[in-house]
Amino acid sequence: MATAVERSATAPLSSAPADATGRRPPRPRAFDQPRFLKFFTAVVFLYLFAPIFVVFLFSFNSKRSTQIFATFSLRWYDVLIHDQSMLGSLWASIEVAFVTMLAGTVIGTLLAFGLVRSNSRVNRPADVLMLLNLVSPEIVTAIALLLVFSEVGSILTPLGFKLGLSLTTVALGHITWSIPYVTIIVRGRLASLNREVEEAAQDLGATNLQAMRLVTLPLLWPAIIASALLVFVMSFDDFVTSYFVSGIDLEPLPIRIYTMIHFGVTPEINAIGTIMMLVTISIVLLALFIYSRQQRARLTFLAE
Amino acid sequence: MSANRLWRLLLLPGGLWLLVLFIAPFGMVIAISLATTDFLGRPVFGFYPENYTQAFDPLFIPVLLRSVGFSVATTLLCLVIGYPVAYMIARYAGRFKNLLVVLIILPWFADYLVRIYAWFVLLGDEGVVNGALRFLGFHGNPPVIFLNTPTAVIGGLVYDYLPFMILPIYAALERMDPSLIEAGKDLYGTPLQTFLNVTWPATIQGVIAGSVLVGLPAVGDFATVQILGGPNTYMIGNLIQDQFTAGGFWPLGAALTIVLMAILSVLIVIYMRSAARPSEAF
Repeated sequence: MATAVERSATAPLSSAPADATGRRPPRPRAFDQPRFLKFFTAVVFLYLFAPIFVVFLFSFNSKRSTQIFATFSLRWYDVLIHDQSMLGSLWASIEVAFVTMLAGTVIGTLLAFGLVRSNSRVNRPADVLMLLNLVSPEIVTAIALLLVFSEVGSILTPLGFKLGLSLTTVALGHITWSIPYVTIIVRGRLASLNREVEEAAQDLGATNLQAMRLVTLPLLWPAIIASALLVFVMSFDDFVTSYFVSGIDLEPLPIRIYTMIHFGVTPEINAIGTIMMLVTISIVLLALFIYSRQQRARLTFLAE
Repeated sequence: MSANRLWRLLLLPGGLWLLVLFIAPFGMVIAISLATTDFLGRPVFGFYPENYTQAFDPLFIPVLLRSVGFSVATTLLCLVIGYPVAYMIARYAGRFKNLLVVLIILPWFADYLVRIYAWFVLLGDEGVVNGALRFLGFHGNPPVIFLNTPTAVIGGLVYDYLPFMILPIYAALERMDPSLIEAGKDLYGTPLQTFLNVTWPATIQGVIAGSVLVGLPAVGDFATVQILGGPNTYMIGNLIQDQFTAGGFWPLGAALTIVLMAILSVLIVIYMRSAARPSEAF
């Protein structure tokens, strides 16, 4: 009762607006006024989005020109869906991205578990190996793979095996650089999980496997799925590794676009570029949504 | 089997994969950088250090210097552009913070090549900007030559890597206690003094991380030059690329790759020692 009275007595005071005292907050000085910063930021956002918007816009141009927008048309999308080699490349990119996503996510997640849960002398070297792979410039890792694939290929060919450059070598390359991204994202979430929850499940009679399946994995899924989607997009977009280790018969989409640009600008590139952007951006948004929704879920879980 | 043994086993697939397809291939680059080729252009292993002498051929030196110069210029531009943006988002964006961060990374996920192509569409001789200039009555054909200039290449590189500068700085600003800035003001520091003595030192880790994340890929970039540049803007990535396409000399390409890696290892060491990690930005 007393607390209720106290609360009602102090409530109007604490909720009174600050300017009730009659003083206005001091005017911020010029440098502190975010007006310039806001303007600057707006210009930077324009710089970030204008170029890709132009690609998007001119993909719907009825004329071949990339200077003057005539009228809206789906002409270039029509050209696109009749371009068999382009569709082949699109399919090849999706295939590689899918394989990379599966393999990279599994291997990267296992590595994250190993790094967080085990305690051995190889932890530190494994961690350094992963980070080194992350920071190594892609042109270097791609050329290294090219040399290995062709050398191993020349050893295997007389033995009757074949390891020419193909979509397989592209996928092997993509999986290699994808591992650290998965490991870092999953490890971050895994390390923040409260280990005691899993132990509580075990105290309640769950086996190790049940505790993992019923407690740890449900909390970890969003991070795993988000990293999988991220890897899919990065593989789908990849240029450098694909450029060096893809075969000549079937090129992934970015390599195909690269070749086309050398023959000049055609709005067909805008059309395929627009499709690629829509695919990747929607997958990234999905990944961010899954990842951030879980953060909220985790907070309520802790609050309970 | 103890739990620790079991968890340790999980290090195996990833560790082995990286040893076989990351470390071993790097060994192969070293081996081939010291090899020569037979008449078919296939590598023959041996010890031919002259590949490295050739990598520092007087013809190549300007290209090496240009690569470093372009990368430094790109990094500085990204810092000058990125810091105010990160600052604005961290301090003044309020509930739009997360949205703006997402909007910063989103264009980066539009395909790398499509983004460079977009600048080609904008700045080409028959591009959007020249079209607009012609419409406005500017003469010349084209009115302004943008492509094949250092400006176009550096501009393209800045566009490629700007988000990598903004995110770590943003993360550092977010970690920083904003009351420190208030304290700086209370002590009668001018805004500039407050920035130089409080904010900048508190975010230097983010600046280092961002600079490495921008500078590192920029040195080895070759697609940007291929599309927006030309012979005048050749970078080391292009030299390497040439050696691995038809008619190239693989051992020289491998030696150039090792030289590139040596330049970059300085940055990599700085990065590995720096406390800030890019993953913290997310």
